[in-house]
Amino acid sequence: MSDLKTDASAGELSSPRLAQFQEEVGKLKVSGGGANPERLGAQWGIGLTILGFVIAAISYISARQDTQFEFIQRDSIAAMIGVGIAIIGIAIWVRNSITRYLRYWIIRLVYEQREQTELLIKALKEK
Amino acid sequence: MTALRPLAGLGPIDVVPVMELTAVRAGYGTIDVLHGIDIALMPGEVFALLGPNGAGKSTTLGVACGAITPHSGSLFLCGRDVTGASADALSRAGVCLIPEGRGIFPNLSVSENLRMASFSGVPYRAVLDRAFTQFPRLGERRKQTAGTLSGGEQQMLAMARALATEPAVLLIDELSMGLAPIIVEELYEHVRGIAALGLSILIVEQFAHEILGIAHRAGIMLHGRLLHSGAPDVIASELAEAYLGSDHQHLHGG
Repeated sequence: MSDLKTDASAGELSSPRLAQFQEEVGKLKVSGGGANPERLGAQWGIGLTILGFVIAAISYISARQDTQFEFIQRDSIAAMIGVGIAIIGIAIWVRNSITRYLRYWIIRLVYEQREQTELLIKALKEK
Repeated sequence: MTALRPLAGLGPIDVVPVMELTAVRAGYGTIDVLHGIDIALMPGEVFALLGPNGAGKSTTLGVACGAITPHSGSLFLCGRDVTGASADALSRAGVCLIPEGRGIFPNLSVSENLRMASFSGVPYRAVLDRAFTQFPRLGERRKQTAGTLSGGEQQMLAMARALATEPAVLLIDELSMGLAPIIVEELYEHVRGIAALGLSILIVEQFAHEILGIAHRAGIMLHGRLLHSGAPDVIASELAEAYLGSDHQHLHGG
């Protein structure tokens, strides 16, 4: 910004409270950017699920075409890993979706409760 | 990120903004409300952020207090990048928001509301003393349910609770909302007193008259952008045009 000069009456950072504030800011733990972590988590969950199923499908097709036991065994293991990744992905997606839903739900409850209280107070005042 | 970030060309630590938002884009879900906001709040400064409904003023405060994480851009406190820090961590450090609509507990008494401020670590007795010294009317109504107070008294309670936590940066959202002009005038007298203590205050208002008399600087927001910022008298002359658009000039033969 170009107009950073403050009025002469504005204070300076030398005041004890501001010095303390600066110290406390220095101690802050910052987890970093990531707006809306639940959405990001849900997207990761969907991504892992798709990846897991793709690995499982490719392994299944590959196993069907194999003739030797070792290759069938290798593809079966890969397919199981794929299914495992898909299950983890589903779990991550469910966890984050539920958290998002519950967050909205609690906000809704808070607002409803506040509205109810205000209605009650209004009714009491009118009495 | 822990590196200090003094402002380019301004050198010493006493000109590092207490709070600074740089190129902040933020919003709700996939919708961006702020489209690259730059605001610097200097130590002891009162910065008035003005603009019509839906301009993004409250969202800016949300980012400043850590309640909303920006999609891009940064929040700096005393030169440190604290983007992504939680609202409660910022609150403990000394960033305090008085939300729009007062944000008090309507079904608790005045004293009980003030007790909530004591959880920040300030002794309850000290909270009460400070609140009742600054707002004697609250002392007279200490046992009254907060929801039954008048609008002005509720706003005083919200301010008292905020000040009790000894904030370094105070964010005030629409202090005048739903209040009679005479009450607003009285509340702004309190804000003037708070500002004289050396607190840095970022105050959001839809109506400019009172706040421009207190602010050191002001800015006009429109459609998620900071259109102008500067001295209050300059901003006052630009307000009508910013709110009403160029048609206002035509109407006045400009």
